[in-house]
Amino acid sequence: MTETPSVVITGTGAVSPYGMGVEPLLDGLFSGKGCMHTVPELEALPMVKTKVAATVPEADYSFIPRRDRRSMSRMAKYAYCAARETLQSAGYDVPPKDLGFFMGSTLNSISVWLEVSKNCLEKHLELVKTSDFLQIMNHSPLATVSQALKINGPCVGAADACATGLMNIGLGYMAIKTGLVSQAICGGTEEYHPMFSACFDIMQATSHNFNDRPDESCRPFDKNRTGLVCSEGCGLLFLERADVAKARGVPILAEIAGFAANTETENMAYPSAQTLRECMQSALDSAGMEPAQIDLLNAHATGTLIGDIAETQAASAVFGPACRINSLKGHLGHTMGASGSLETIACLAMLERQKLLPTKNLQTVDERCTPLSYVTHCEDAPVQTILKNSFAIGGNNCSIILRRPL
Amino acid sequence: MITREEIIRLTNEALKAEFELTDEQLVPTAHLQQDVGLDSLDAVDMVVVLEQKFGMTLRQGYDIRSIVTLNDLYDFIEKLAREAGK
Repeated sequence: MTETPSVVITGTGAVSPYGMGVEPLLDGLFSGKGCMHTVPELEALPMVKTKVAATVPEADYSFIPRRDRRSMSRMAKYAYCAARETLQSAGYDVPPKDLGFFMGSTLNSISVWLEVSKNCLEKHLELVKTSDFLQIMNHSPLATVSQALKINGPCVGAADACATGLMNIGLGYMAIKTGLVSQAICGGTEEYHPMFSACFDIMQATSHNFNDRPDESCRPFDKNRTGLVCSEGCGLLFLERADVAKARGVPILAEIAGFAANTETENMAYPSAQTLRECMQSALDSAGMEPAQIDLLNAHATGTLIGDIAETQAASAVFGPACRINSLKGHLGHTMGASGSLETIACLAMLERQKLLPTKNLQTVDERCTPLSYVTHCEDAPVQTILKNSFAIGGNNCSIILRRPL
Repeated sequence: MITREEIIRLTNEALKAEFELTDEQLVPTAHLQQDVGLDSLDAVDMVVVLEQKFGMTLRQGYDIRSIVTLNDLYDFIEKLAREAGK
């Protein structure tokens, strides 16, 4: 069998509740800073139990040329900023020719959809502008950012809800492995709307017992958790063939050693430990690695009662009780389609700094979560490999293995 | 009856708000594409915002190729307004 090329990560870009750029994201994560707040629209809804979210600070996007910006929803603007930073971080002022672009989101812009829907409901379809339509296309952020930045390779977006970001990294990885492209920007983007919180609330999957202390509200694995906190942002990574990166002489942030995806078909909302276990095991198989070779499991763990338990059961089955495990949702909330890629950026920083980030707000591990070696404070540790999970409502699971460059 | 001055004022108001233009760009002889910087997508959205502004249909019989300058646009709106008895 022909050996496939190694795929490495050489650039990152982020927009998160900590602000614009990778630096504020990492500063926020490593300092344990809070970024959650109460949401007036949720406070006005007595039936909705959760009142908190994490959102990207307001910013002026007028630096984006009007012709590009006119078709961009908020999440596309996040993606534009993150893509520019990713390119610069990978050593490019302009995109290289035939650059691939793999990015998606859970939903398109709800706020723009609502404006369009209002015209539809009031029987004023003639008021719908072209720029409105361009903002609510399913691939709108992908299309508008590729146009704006002149990314001319294949632009394809996986939309797998909460697994979108990581699934698109996997798509880019496979596209490079199979020779479709030699370089690609990959990840996910998402913009918050209170509808996200309301929908997860009715599924009994939101945090509601720390509304008066928003920064303590998301508590993966903790015995006092009640659910997730909705959030937003964009995380993008620059992937390329290892030989291309070496020829360019750019720093390599990590190698993607393996990737796998599978689907839970028994229940759309509740993943089984068995399916999650198989997903992680497949990722190990694709990397040709043994469980003992993984130094950290960066969990999907959103802080929901059932999801966290299933993931710890799966982790224990694969790695055993000594497995080092953390989740970054306590810091960032659940950035939905951006979570897999934003958290992968944090994983790269953990590899680079040789530090493990804790699960923020994890004070007492829920006894229903399987005993594992939970990271509860920022600690120095030799970390060469990280397996990162992303799981989605809809049953879409994926796992990636990152290896520190030699 | 709406005056030409009023038509110019309302048109410019709509264009400035929609396309982030300045008064300096909106001189009557300005070429919509070359001077004002509007492209074909803008032209489509321009019809929507002007229809809202003037409360009348512009898209029927509308031929963007015949409207080259701002003056052409004012003439077109004035003609339709007169036909509509405005």
